[in-house]
Amino acid sequence: MRNYLKQIRTILWKDLLVEFRTRERLIAMGAFVVLVAILFNYATDWARVSPEDIASGLVWMTIMFAGLLGVGRTFHLEAEDGAFQGILMSPVPKDAIFIAKALANFVFLYIMALLVVGVFIFFFGLEVGGSFGMLTLVIALGVLAFVALGTLFTAVSTGTRMGDTLLPVLIFPLLAPVVIYGTGATSQFLAGRPVTEAEGSIRMLAAFALTAFFLGSWLFRFVVED
Amino acid sequence: MREYGTVTAVDGIDLSLARGEFLTIFGPNGAGKTSLLALLAGALRPNRGQVWLRGETLDFGEVEWRHRIGVLSHQGFLYGHLSAEENLRFYGQLFGLSDLDYVVNHKLQHLGLQDRAGSLVRDLSHGMKQRLALARALLHDPDIVLLDEPYTGLDPSAAIVLQGVLSDLKDGQRTIVMVTHNLTEGLALATTAAIMNRGRFVWQGKRAEIEGDFGQFYHGVIEGEE
Repeated sequence: MRNYLKQIRTILWKDLLVEFRTRERLIAMGAFVVLVAILFNYATDWARVSPEDIASGLVWMTIMFAGLLGVGRTFHLEAEDGAFQGILMSPVPKDAIFIAKALANFVFLYIMALLVVGVFIFFFGLEVGGSFGMLTLVIALGVLAFVALGTLFTAVSTGTRMGDTLLPVLIFPLLAPVVIYGTGATSQFLAGRPVTEAEGSIRMLAAFALTAFFLGSWLFRFVVED
Repeated sequence: MREYGTVTAVDGIDLSLARGEFLTIFGPNGAGKTSLLALLAGALRPNRGQVWLRGETLDFGEVEWRHRIGVLSHQGFLYGHLSAEENLRFYGQLFGLSDLDYVVNHKLQHLGLQDRAGSLVRDLSHGMKQRLALARALLHDPDIVLLDEPYTGLDPSAAIVLQGVLSDLKDGQRTIVMVTHNLTEGLALATTAAIMNRGRFVWQGKRAEIEGDFGQFYHGVIEGEE
């Protein structure tokens, strides 16, 4: 077990180090998030709608699209010089590889999701107040579900000719629960409702995230094994 | 046997290798050499047949046997944005090596890369990358070494370094299988040789059995098959 955790930590650390050196994904996602928030800001008629009514949906859709940009590149650096084959040929269980890759994606996407919230608070003048802690929890659960599905399906689509096109087609239908419960809980917080009213959505989101994570770590071997 | 759709890459090869043996497999492009090596490495599942390792069937679900196999492919399995030392440390940690500092430094020194330990792999020459890839393949001191076209793209001095390392490896304790187009370098260290074409061994024999011009013999065998 100790070795298993060490192997996860090693792959996770490598992914973080490579990303912080190349900044490929963080820059692409960060620029996307800021630009989308600016465009939404200008595209919305504030005389007809109030920010609280639409912000939660826009926040989650921005997280989804930005996440797709980042998660879609999970195995691109690995493909360079066949490095992923090197990991597969080392004595690391496939589920450990999945967990490490998903956790690395979680770190990138969670940073990005918090940036999304910050940018929307800035441009839409939202007030989160005392629910900010719970909002970050809801976002963490949604991001966990997203990266679990994203990492698995990126592994599926990377080896195909239409990989980049295929990924959203595969993943978006499965992300419906994340959008439904994530948006539900977020809109409650933005409307200043008590946390108890969002409990149901948070529980469903947590259950979905954990199920997606465990299923992903189990199914990953069937995707990467020849 | 291994098939890709309607193409049979490896067809009915019955191969038994003893400890200390150095088998060199020659053959034209598309003969199935790399697929055979991937089968031996456990990177590919055979459609039919089995790979045995010290009396036990190679089990794809288990990872422990990977400690005993080192693979040098024509891809280096290296990360361009990590330094030479970081790459070796990464793989060393995945293999759970103890005394990693000593092992990494020793390998870098042995392959003449100690001066470039801190250089990013993307800044190394092809010959240096190839040497580093060999250091990676041998890091965990495997007793079965699989080499796929190790001389490709090397300048004469790098080829001499590689020849020296391979010569050191031939210590009677390891089983080595090398795939190559290069008849001279391929035969230099071999104890056994085989010629592969269209997925099958069309000739196999001891190095000592090879008399006269092997190049002529090789071309004769291939042309006779085609």
